[in-house]
Amino acid sequence: MNVIGLKTFVAREVQRAFRVYIQTILSPLINALLYILIFGVVVGSTIQSVGGFSYIDFVLPGILMLNLINSAFSQTSSSLYFQRFAKHIEEILVAPLSHMEMIAGYVIAGVARGLIVGLGVYVIALIFSAATIAHLGLFILYTIAVAVIFSLLGLLVALWAQNFEQLSILSVFVITPLTFLGGVFNSVTMLPSSVQTIALFNPFFYFVDGLRYAMIGVREGNAMVGWMVIIGLIVLCGGLVWRLFTIGWRLRT
Amino acid sequence: MHALEISNFTKKYGERTAVDALSLTVEPGEFFGFLGRNGAGKTTTISAITGIGKITSGTISIFGNDVEKNYRQARALVGLCPQEFNVDIFATIERVLWYVGGFYGMSTVDRKKRIAELGRILDLESHMEKKFAELSGGLKRRVMLARAMIHDPKLLILDEPTAGVDVELRHELWKYLREINAQGKTIIFTSHYLEEVEQLCQRIAIIDAGKIIVDAPKSEFTKDGSTLEAKFLSLTQKKS
Repeated sequence: MNVIGLKTFVAREVQRAFRVYIQTILSPLINALLYILIFGVVVGSTIQSVGGFSYIDFVLPGILMLNLINSAFSQTSSSLYFQRFAKHIEEILVAPLSHMEMIAGYVIAGVARGLIVGLGVYVIALIFSAATIAHLGLFILYTIAVAVIFSLLGLLVALWAQNFEQLSILSVFVITPLTFLGGVFNSVTMLPSSVQTIALFNPFFYFVDGLRYAMIGVREGNAMVGWMVIIGLIVLCGGLVWRLFTIGWRLRT
Repeated sequence: MHALEISNFTKKYGERTAVDALSLTVEPGEFFGFLGRNGAGKTTTISAITGIGKITSGTISIFGNDVEKNYRQARALVGLCPQEFNVDIFATIERVLWYVGGFYGMSTVDRKKRIAELGRILDLESHMEKKFAELSGGLKRRVMLARAMIHDPKLLILDEPTAGVDVELRHELWKYLREINAQGKTIIFTSHYLEEVEQLCQRIAIIDAGKIIVDAPKSEFTKDGSTLEAKFLSLTQKKS
């Protein structure tokens, strides 16, 4: 294994993100601050409680997950796509790095950026006395696992996209709607009963629900189903990314 | 053992054959000229040697290491200075070299030493903190060469390294390339400036429409009082 190569790869990716920190770190934190302020504090003050918790406590895991997902996805999708577009992917292709090391490099950087933003959101929440962690181990597991999924998805989109517009399609039409419909701002019990069943088929529901359990100790979905969805998606996306890297799809001429 | 051995290499893009059953060897320490018109198959062949391109059929090995089966060993032995500036243009020169050195598994100490050394040799010392996008064309070419040389490869592939470079720098580069070749480095050199190929290379192969049409020592091209350019034109025009 090329350990120095992999470490350098991760360092380069993370430093690339910090080079444009206003866009990559500051922007999602300001977003989170506004969500917490408006939905958590302003709107939340008019809501008695959700499942016995203050609205800001209830909504925070969803806001954290929303930003973590977007950060991990943007990190890998924009990095790989831009490298393909500007052709400096060739710098990596000629190096003695295996496909697995390349994928690991991108994913570790995606997870790192997701966690940095997630940590930032948590710190902001502390200011509003809204941050609790009921199960630290699960909190770490959920955040890393979901960041891995979206880092891998980012790689898939970066390989598929032929222009900058296509790069944002998944984010605009799939990730954002499903995240919002996955119970970021509301309990699934607030939905009409017919929609409640549909919500259970939304994988994002399990991401938010899992993190909510890790943070405030309450869940609405089935934990086992949630983990099956998460592990299944990691295996599916990871397998697909590995296959595409192996055959050099849109990477090697 | 050959520095480079290509056996029956074929590259197809869909139905179109870009390189057709090409076989070629380059010996250790050779300064080898690889010529051809635009679209003849030079860059396609170089891409396959270095791992940028896929091989449709045939085999390529570098110092005995198959570029597909033993890709790690093979790639560690090659340095590529490509035609295009395929660099992160927002990164500083120091960072570009630092990261690429790391990809090749160089330790922090070795990288620092090598970057300083290449900075001195290629006169890049005062530009290390500049972003690639801020550099002149000549400096960009020097950075590309430094990047190809960062891990001190045994085989250096230079794909039109002097394109867009002024005469003075071109002569400096020739001097440097002659020096490293004299020290034992194998060099594969492509260029559309045939006078520099004539000056630098010991053996020359010409590729046309994906096939090697001639592979001979430089003296063979000029023995009848002809120039390499005249010979090149007569050979490639005859075929087309």
